[in-house]
Amino acid sequence: MNEQSNIAASTREPVAFNAALAEPFNVLIVGVGGQGVIMVSKVLASLAQAHGFEVKQSEVHGMAKRGGTVFSHVRFGPKVWSPTIAKGEADVLIALEWAEGLRWLPHLRRDTGVFICDTKRIVPPFACRSRRPGAPMRYSTETAEQVSAYVSEAYAIDATRMAEELGNDRAANVVLLGALSTVLEFSLPEWERTVTSFVPKKTIAVNTAAFELGRNWIAEAKTAPPSDMPARSAPTQTNYTPRLEITDAWCKSCEICVKLCPEHCLELDADRIAKLVAPEKCTGCRLCEWLCPDFAIRVHLDAEQPALEAAR
Amino acid sequence: MFREAPHFDVRDYLRKEMMPHFLCPGCGHGMALRALLWALHELKIDRDKLAVVSGIGCAGRLSAYIDANTFHTTHGRPLAYATGLALARPDLHVVVITGDGDCLAIGGNHLIHACRRNLKLTCLMLNNEIYGMTGGQVSPTTSETRLTTTTPHGNTEPNFDACALAIAAGAGFVGREVTRHVPKMKELIKHGLQHPGFAFIEVLSDCTEVYGRKNDMGSSSEMVMRQKSEMRPSAYRDSVDEPFRSTDLPTGVLARNARPEYGAALRAAAAARAAK
Ligand SMILES: Cc1ncc(C[n+]2csc(CCOP(=O)(O)OP(=O)(O)O)c2C)c(N)n1
Ligand code: SF4
Ligand SMILES: [Mg+2]
Repeated sequence: MNEQSNIAASTREPVAFNAALAEPFNVLIVGVGGQGVIMVSKVLASLAQAHGFEVKQSEVHGMAKRGGTVFSHVRFGPKVWSPTIAKGEADVLIALEWAEGLRWLPHLRRDTGVFICDTKRIVPPFACRSRRPGAPMRYSTETAEQVSAYVSEAYAIDATRMAEELGNDRAANVVLLGALSTVLEFSLPEWERTVTSFVPKKTIAVNTAAFELGRNWIAEAKTAPPSDMPARSAPTQTNYTPRLEITDAWCKSCEICVKLCPEHCLELDADRIAKLVAPEKCTGCRLCEWLCPDFAIRVHLDAEQPALEAAR
Repeated sequence: MFREAPHFDVRDYLRKEMMPHFLCPGCGHGMALRALLWALHELKIDRDKLAVVSGIGCAGRLSAYIDANTFHTTHGRPLAYATGLALARPDLHVVVITGDGDCLAIGGNHLIHACRRNLKLTCLMLNNEIYGMTGGQVSPTTSETRLTTTTPHGNTEPNFDACALAIAAGAGFVGREVTRHVPKMKELIKHGLQHPGFAFIEVLSDCTEVYGRKNDMGSSSEMVMRQKSEMRPSAYRDSVDEPFRSTDLPTGVLARNARPEYGAALRAAAAARAAK
């Protein structure tokens, strides 16, 4: 999937609003547990509040600790009644995870909504059909191009990668806040003050840098046509074939590997030496390597050449 | 997505000409050795700056398989040798490998005084509740009712909680782990190696051939599986499982304090005297 840049950029000015904003402004923030969805919504809520708006925020983080879905509705304006955003009424949808972003797209306004999505993919356990690395999964297969047909303005940004490059992947949510800052008309000092007050003191520097990265990335995406965008390659998935190297002379037939392999793919052969009998079931989890008291098993994860590179 | 650095290969740290090692099939000491070598590898400890000192026993034998500076000493005394070595060569990482018999029976005094002094050393005690090497005599950690060659009607002596003993004697760092959790064992040993004082780590290991056989504990794999039982971390304590150890032992980091390190204190006192 090639999605290094803006999907459908616009040269539109930031969404204009002031104290006279007639209808509440709706921002929906989504992601999975541990990514910092709630922090983003708190920053936004306190910013809007400091600006004199009435703010309502509601969130669900039920299975958050297990990597489950987390979302937060933030609505602000002169008067806000409902704490939740109805389908098709979000002005901005911020997604910290790719599939979560797609899941919530129907909530975005078709005509004017802005979609900002991290390209980060976190595959939920139930999307895995097999524990084998590289096995096909039930994870969204939509491409950025397909998504662009559904939205008026959208950005697929490698926020997590950018934060990793800054040395702290936890700052990915602040990269997205930087991106969000270009669509909302709060002043830059207001943004910076609020963001700083919400991050741990030791991480202020990295978060300030993250915020600027996100902000500049959108500015760049708006001016440069997509083809000229610096190519940030999409996260790739490499297929691995686990291979077991067994030193027969060291194996003492204790059978720990045979009995403890979660996939039951080892057996003792006629000479009572451990053998991989079901290589197709091996996931390369290394449990046999770690538990072998005789150091007789070594797991290799041989990378399969991606078809594209092999063709080159 | 699969992003992984080349995985640690334990064979890089072994004296391959000594392999296969002499441990019985399924002996837990092999897993403990892997965890130690893995921890040393991850901390990038230079092998020329590493000294492994061990006593006598199946546990004590492990130093022979490590491709580094190793010192196979006398029964119960590895801490005494290691103390001298660490004082003379503060530039070295000194690691002691010892067994429950080596460390708590004949070497018990050395342990409490090592804890008291808090000299920078890492002591890895492999507790299999038995004198494995000599054929299965009762040890200070043998659980009550267990059969050994010296307790043919079941052990009646109460046993030591080695970690509680080390904490009481003042060790700077104390932790415990089971061999089944190799990566956790590695992490615990890493914490111990980085501690700037005396680090005592107890590994609950299985003597499969002697203790396991005598007490009818099943195959090696069954013994490993049973580790989930009573000696597992408190989080797993409620799950139904067959008990193995007779005491409910917590695992993980059990104590960590900032008592002054003995070697530095001794050198400072010597320097002050020299300056007079
Ligand atoms: C001074 C002395 N006393 C006794 C012995 C006999 N001996 C050798 S190993 C051992 C016990 C080892 O038990 P432990 O330290 O628990 O090691 P394991 O074999 O269980 O790993 C004994 C008593 C000896 N070698 N030296
Ligand atoms: S006697 Fe026990 S401790 Fe010694 S090698 Fe055999 S199983 Fe391991
Ligand atoms: Mg022993």
